[in-house]
Amino acid sequence: MTNITPFQLFYRAAQARTYPRIAWMYRHKTWIFQETLLPILSVSALAFVYEWMQAPREYVGMVILGAAMTAFWMNVLWSMGGQLYWERDSGNLELYIMSPAPMMSILTGMALGGMLMTLVRAIAIVSAGMILFNVEFAPTSWWLLALVFALTMTALYGLGAMFSSLFLLWGREAWHTVNLLQEPVYLATGMNFPLVALERVLHWFIPAVALFIPLTAGMDALRQVLFRTPGFIPLEWEIGLLAALSAIFLFFAKRTLAMLERKAKEQGTITVKWK
Amino acid sequence: MTLSEPFRTLKWATWLGWQIESNWADVRLFLLYMVLKPVSGSMMLVMMFYAAKYITNGRVPTEFLPYIYVSSACYGIVGRVMFGLSNVVISDRENYRMLKYIFISPAQFQAYFLGRGLAQAAEGVLGAVITISVGLLIPDVRRSVNYGAFDLGWLIVFLSIGSVMLWACGMILASAMLNMSRSGTFLSEGIAGVVYFLSGVVFPITVLPSWLQPVGLSLPTTYWLEGMRRSITGPAPEGSPLSKSPLASWSNAELAGMLAITTAVLVVVSQLFYRRSVLRAWRRGKIEEATGM
Repeated sequence: MTNITPFQLFYRAAQARTYPRIAWMYRHKTWIFQETLLPILSVSALAFVYEWMQAPREYVGMVILGAAMTAFWMNVLWSMGGQLYWERDSGNLELYIMSPAPMMSILTGMALGGMLMTLVRAIAIVSAGMILFNVEFAPTSWWLLALVFALTMTALYGLGAMFSSLFLLWGREAWHTVNLLQEPVYLATGMNFPLVALERVLHWFIPAVALFIPLTAGMDALRQVLFRTPGFIPLEWEIGLLAALSAIFLFFAKRTLAMLERKAKEQGTITVKWK
Repeated sequence: MTLSEPFRTLKWATWLGWQIESNWADVRLFLLYMVLKPVSGSMMLVMMFYAAKYITNGRVPTEFLPYIYVSSACYGIVGRVMFGLSNVVISDRENYRMLKYIFISPAQFQAYFLGRGLAQAAEGVLGAVITISVGLLIPDVRRSVNYGAFDLGWLIVFLSIGSVMLWACGMILASAMLNMSRSGTFLSEGIAGVVYFLSGVVFPITVLPSWLQPVGLSLPTTYWLEGMRRSITGPAPEGSPLSKSPLASWSNAELAGMLAITTAVLVVVSQLFYRRSVLRAWRRGKIEEATGM
């Protein structure tokens, strides 16, 4: 028997979970239509709303950015958050728990595969938006843009990893909970409008609390870098917040996964289907 | 088959659909879900309105707000019924693995879908009522709604014809799903997206490029949404950009008539397509097939 280091085990398991998502992109070509052309329809509708209201061009850019980031949020909810729930129904969950590979490697693979798929969708949405609506994306610094994006993704997928255990514990409510976390999150995070609008119309408390959703801070920071619009809080604070959220969510993801594994082994009910 | 069997199927399918939609949580959580989801979707458009109004120093006309708010509340019914019916095929076939049992049972297959669609529609209507009620708490919405123009009679007419129209659209999608895998949900998402873009949900169709406007005018949902808006908030104010819409000069009777004609065409198409799809699915074994990812 060859000796395998923990790192090698982690890497191989993550690679094994990334592969199906990449392979799906080649085998099911409908994603080209579903993941690119369809989102452009809703982007166009909201972009026309701002054009109808004669808002400045950067507001159309915010809609395009919002649509691209929505793709990541949906991926976090459905492909990460709900995934273990569906893996249980298909009988894979007990295999994951029994295998020597750490559950974090399983989720890391899911996250990487999902992120790659979603990146293609996001690039298609942004490119189409730029061409159709003549919007310019000119960041103040490309390195800053890359840093903000990377931190946002790390925090977001860390949250997704935490969701995956929690949704499994919540049972059939998980699907509805995932559904519930779409529109309210779009509103609270300022998906298609500057976050300061929430402060003006409602109360500063709402966007302040929403900042703890990585999407809020990430999008506000990206808007400051891309469109030079004033943010809810300064850019440096948002970068710091995203770094902190990344660490916190990854830590709690590891803890909830460990709790899940222990519960599965002790009780034996967590892998029961349709629970 | 007695005359009561389709109605019995309809009754129990509606009950089942409502149970599936509601019994996953206790009443309080379910009501929270019913309020939060549709209201948040409409509130997002409200925030876009205020963001644009602020940045343009108040140049956005106030009547735009009830337009987008009421439209998006009504559009929620469209999404629920159309997407919901196609989702029934997927969930019953792939998750619960019971579609084949419905098919071979004495229950009327189409009445079953109609019942499940009714449950979705009820949820959609409830969501729309809640959304509009909550919208009246917003001062600008409350001030700009013409309460004297609220017409319950025409509202019932448009809601009734619209229900048949949405059911026919939903049946077309559900029939297509019978012969498609799980990933075919892109079809209903696509149709919902096309309707959202072309039917004047969040902006009048005059905003569309001129070559797209005839496409928007060919969709029955365009007339339905215009009829629903007029019944609830009245016609667009004189001199408003909203009064430049090609449908602004149509009377309610003309709108209802056009909606009825397009709905009749849809019903015929849906019935023909449904029969062909069920036969095809039965012959190819698709009714019991679990397609996975």
